[in-house]
Amino acid sequence: MVALLEPAVVDKATTLETLLETPAGKRMMTCIQCGTCAGTCPYGEHMEFAPRLVINMLRGGFIDEVIKSDSLLRCVACYACLAKCPRGIRLTDVLLPLVKEQVLVTRTEIPAEFQKSLENMHRYGNPMGESPRKRAAWTATAGTKIPILAEVKRTVDVLWFVECYPSFYARGQDNCRAVAKLFQALGVDFAILGNEEKCAGECGQVTWESGLFESLAEDNMKLFKKYQFRRIVTADAHAYNAFHFRYPMFGLTQPAEHTTQFFARHLDQLKPRLTRPVNRTVTYHDPCCLGRATGSYDEGRALLQAIPGVKLVEMVHNRVNSICCGGGGGGMWLDTYYKQKGMERLSERRVREAVATGADVLAVSCPYEISRFEDALKTVPHDKPMVVRDVVELLAESLA
Amino acid sequence: MKPIVPKKNEPVRIGFYICHCGTNIASVVDVEAVAKYAATLPNVAVSRTYKYMCSDPGQELIQQDIQESRLNRIVVAACSPLLHEHTFRKATEAGGLNPFYFQMVNIREHDSWVHTDRTEATRKAMALARAAIQRVPHHKPLEVKKVGINPNVLIVGGGIGGIHAALTLANAGKMVYLVEKEATIGGHMAKFDKTFPTLDCAMCVLSPKMAAIGSHPNIHLWTYSEVAKVDGYVGNFKVTVRRKPRYILEDLCTGCQECVNACVYKDAKFADEFNLGLGKRKPIFLPFPQAIPPVTMIDPEVCLNFKRGKNPDGSHTVSDKCKKTCVEACGDRKAIDFKQTQEIKEITVGTIIVATGFQIFDARRIPYYGYGVYPNVYNALEVERLINASGPTEGEVILRNGQVPKKVAIVHCVGSRDENTNRWCSRVCCLYSLKLAHLIKEHTHAEVYNFYIDMRTPGKGMEEFYNRIAEEGMHLIRGRVADVYPDPNDGATGRLVVQAEDTLTNKILKIPVDMVVLATGLEPHPEAESLRRMFNLSCSSEGWFLERHPKLAPVNTFTDGIFLAGCCQGPKDIPDTVAQAGAAAAEAFALIDKGHVEQEPNTAYILDDCCGCKSCIPLCPYTAISFAEDTKKAIINETLCKGCGTCVASCPSGSIVQNLFEDVEIYSEIDGVLAEGLF
Ligand SMILES: Cc1cc2nc3c(=O)[nH]c(=O)nc-3n(C[C@H](O)[C@H](O)[C@H](O)COP(=O)(O)OP(=O)(O)OC[C@H]3O[C@@H](n4cnc5c(N)ncnc54)[C@H](O)[C@@H]3O)c2cc1C
Ligand code: SF4
Ligand code: SF4
Ligand code: SF4
Ligand code: SF4
Repeated sequence: MVALLEPAVVDKATTLETLLETPAGKRMMTCIQCGTCAGTCPYGEHMEFAPRLVINMLRGGFIDEVIKSDSLLRCVACYACLAKCPRGIRLTDVLLPLVKEQVLVTRTEIPAEFQKSLENMHRYGNPMGESPRKRAAWTATAGTKIPILAEVKRTVDVLWFVECYPSFYARGQDNCRAVAKLFQALGVDFAILGNEEKCAGECGQVTWESGLFESLAEDNMKLFKKYQFRRIVTADAHAYNAFHFRYPMFGLTQPAEHTTQFFARHLDQLKPRLTRPVNRTVTYHDPCCLGRATGSYDEGRALLQAIPGVKLVEMVHNRVNSICCGGGGGGMWLDTYYKQKGMERLSERRVREAVATGADVLAVSCPYEISRFEDALKTVPHDKPMVVRDVVELLAESLA
Repeated sequence: MKPIVPKKNEPVRIGFYICHCGTNIASVVDVEAVAKYAATLPNVAVSRTYKYMCSDPGQELIQQDIQESRLNRIVVAACSPLLHEHTFRKATEAGGLNPFYFQMVNIREHDSWVHTDRTEATRKAMALARAAIQRVPHHKPLEVKKVGINPNVLIVGGGIGGIHAALTLANAGKMVYLVEKEATIGGHMAKFDKTFPTLDCAMCVLSPKMAAIGSHPNIHLWTYSEVAKVDGYVGNFKVTVRRKPRYILEDLCTGCQECVNACVYKDAKFADEFNLGLGKRKPIFLPFPQAIPPVTMIDPEVCLNFKRGKNPDGSHTVSDKCKKTCVEACGDRKAIDFKQTQEIKEITVGTIIVATGFQIFDARRIPYYGYGVYPNVYNALEVERLINASGPTEGEVILRNGQVPKKVAIVHCVGSRDENTNRWCSRVCCLYSLKLAHLIKEHTHAEVYNFYIDMRTPGKGMEEFYNRIAEEGMHLIRGRVADVYPDPNDGATGRLVVQAEDTLTNKILKIPVDMVVLATGLEPHPEAESLRRMFNLSCSSEGWFLERHPKLAPVNTFTDGIFLAGCCQGPKDIPDTVAQAGAAAAEAFALIDKGHVEQEPNTAYILDDCCGCKSCIPLCPYTAISFAEDTKKAIINETLCKGCGTCVASCPSGSIVQNLFEDVEIYSEIDGVLAEGLF
């Protein structure tokens, strides 16, 4: 994908007024109104202004009408439009968030659940409103000592950015325990930020340059400047995406990696230790923030195929054509709103495809997906049992 | 006008001319300032600006000044020498001077077209002008060499482009070598049933031309062959052609196909290339009924009389394990030869026409259209074969499961106009999609949906054709297809859903169809790069061969004597291909008819102080240097020297001089460009 190869097409000071002057905006001027974006959008049929129209309204000077509608609250930042756009236009990560921000600023009624999560992020540094002092509480159950950067007082190789869902949610913590086990098996020199860590704010997809993302990013950047580490590794595809694309604008210089990428890079070392067979048929869901956003399709699959006993099958929509779980771009907290508007839950659409493969495991690599798909499995009929597992959980299971 | 021969020690008098080129140059470069500056430089007698120097009055200006102001050197600052050096040398000559007393300065491509800052661009023009003004006094009068031209022509590629060029030249009495990579000529057109915009039968038009090629006394047709090497230059190219073994002796085979019937394989069971794998053939086969030459061939990969697999050199080993019923059937004709090996042919030709065409875009590169995954997704060329009466289904449009589709979607712009694949518009696919819509409807009465971004139907009769097809009741939907996937309500039948936004109604459409046709775009051959190197051509960034000038020399290349025809130069339809092929044939003919080519006198020669070290001899890529045993000095054969300058740079005693590039000329030029006061 052309667009993904050039990170620096906008800077953080860009606004809707100045957008068309930037390199990203100049590319918007080349839109041929082909409608691929609207046609591929999972909620395209529910948008009064689908991405194609947003561009034309912007170019024609009618963007105010778009801001008045709730169309962009229905964008789940899935990168499908961007990935298929024949002009390589930065819709998902540039144009749409800028418009969405204006929608949030000018709109009088914001869906309550969504409003609440934004406030929580502001106040507590996590969307669920948990106490920041409990952020590292999970480490007690890790089964091994989890070093905290503030305590180790030296340069570590890997800063493991745990993120909110893995820190606070029971099923997220399963992921943490698996990562810890794998790190230990590989002898990785790592540490976490502990209670100091705040949400990476990939909800920057929702808020773009305004207060919330900026303040979260700046808080985290202060920590990143304070400690010495060589790379960031995170199990949260959204955080990875923020570190990869947005944080460099705030001064992040270390490379970021998603856990699947990190473990895939160490697969030669890991493979001999994956001895316990996991005799399951597995289908892999490409998280939008990892797949379409950064082109990382192969790592998760390579890890699954390295596990003895795993049979990998593909869903109808996979890789660049994968269907979003519906949790991105704020969608995580808009389920009720979408339901009110008569919109199908995307997690259900996705799970129906997973069920159709006949797999017993739906493998994921983003913490949002665990809860969304487990919920969806409660409502989507299926004859054969299916479980949702993070790729790293399956890896850890196979470790002898 | 009487020729002016400058006397020895006569003072140099330069005429300097700077061209506005309309606004091309003058809008960025202050031409008046450059002319004023040039007037102050040593030896400049006349300095002028003019709107179009290449026009007749512009050229006359030079001639007049030579006579009236007794000029003996001319410098023109204008466009690229590629375009008009010849023009101004001619004007200089017409004014009575030796044409090599002229020097050209490129202030368009090298300056006004690539800069925006007027002050800086003007300074650059001054520096470049000064370089030429300091160089030109050292110019010497030179003679243009004339060398004879070989009247034979090589044509590479036997599609409609190559076929038309070959017949044109052969009919004019020229000897043509037509080299085609496949086992038959015909190219893409031979695969079509009907052609837009007239909907006339493709083979009815093409097969008489193909047959004429096969029987023409002036055409050597070498199919299943490739050009392996090209040496030499315009008028005198030495070409090596490799003829791959087809295990059939072309001269003896009558095309009766009795061997095919007699083959131990009773059923055809191998994928048939001509039908893009939609049909089957035997190990011995004729590519298609109207193939030219009408000669069968054997596929050694599957024929039982060969061992499986290739040898490292690409050849195949006979196993002698088959009963060889084909040989029995061929009988006295004795046309089958399992021992045939590749044959190398060496020919000399004066001109070459490259007509190697295109390949269609591989739709697998757009994974969300499902080509290669869902059996009911076809590319357009496959559908051309399905519609064709001599195709794998004898003209019945049926799916792989034998059913007739009731709803068909045609997806435009597949692998065209897309930054993720190919950026260009392939130009013919809107029209062939309309054609296919009509033909599919005619054959099946299906509902046909064309999904397009923009309907592009330029050209004579094309908009009328669009109108005609629209009237037939097609669903023409303005929106690029975003997704193709199995119908979730109806997966088992292979029915697919085509999803797209109808951008004119703002509706997201999900249309269930039985068949999806991908209007795959045209793209350069993967081997275009090796051809480019072999023929010393240039390519556009996309990989199409580059014409010398889009308007003034559209079928010429940057290599003299090599011409382009058809889609190897860019996507185009059959009428344009044929027009271009005619033009390429005319250009080749014009060269041949003239009888000779003029060679730039930029050759090198060896001075008397050559020490005889022989270091230059092996370096010359054209083996133009030899060693004279009597004088113990190297000598350069002027007709072989191409003026590359390699020897000049290599000579340890500095004893080699190259005309037009003498040291003093180059140093003066460098001094001029770096002159003080400008930068
Ligand atoms: C699906 C489809 C439908 C179309 N329908 C129409 C239509 O209805 N009307 C119309 O006007 N146009 C149509 N076109 C366009 C038409 O195909 C082209 O204009 C035409 O084929 C161009 O002819 P060509 O000789 O340049 O190239 P080609 O037809 O591609 O022929 C090139 C030949 O060169 C040979 N070759 C390639 N490389 C080498 C090599 N290295 N050495 C030796 N030989 C080589 C090839 O084997 C081939 O035989 C259609 C195109 C497509 C894809
Ligand atoms: S896919 Fe791209 S080019 Fe097409 S309408 Fe959308 S933004 Fe414009
Ligand atoms: S990012 Fe996804 S949800 Fe948002 S507009 Fe694009 S396709 Fe639709
Ligand atoms: S090889 Fe012999 S039998 Fe076969 S087509 Fe030629 S002549 Fe006929
Ligand atoms: S001719 Fe039509 S279908 Fe082909 S690339 Fe151009 S616009 Fe697309």
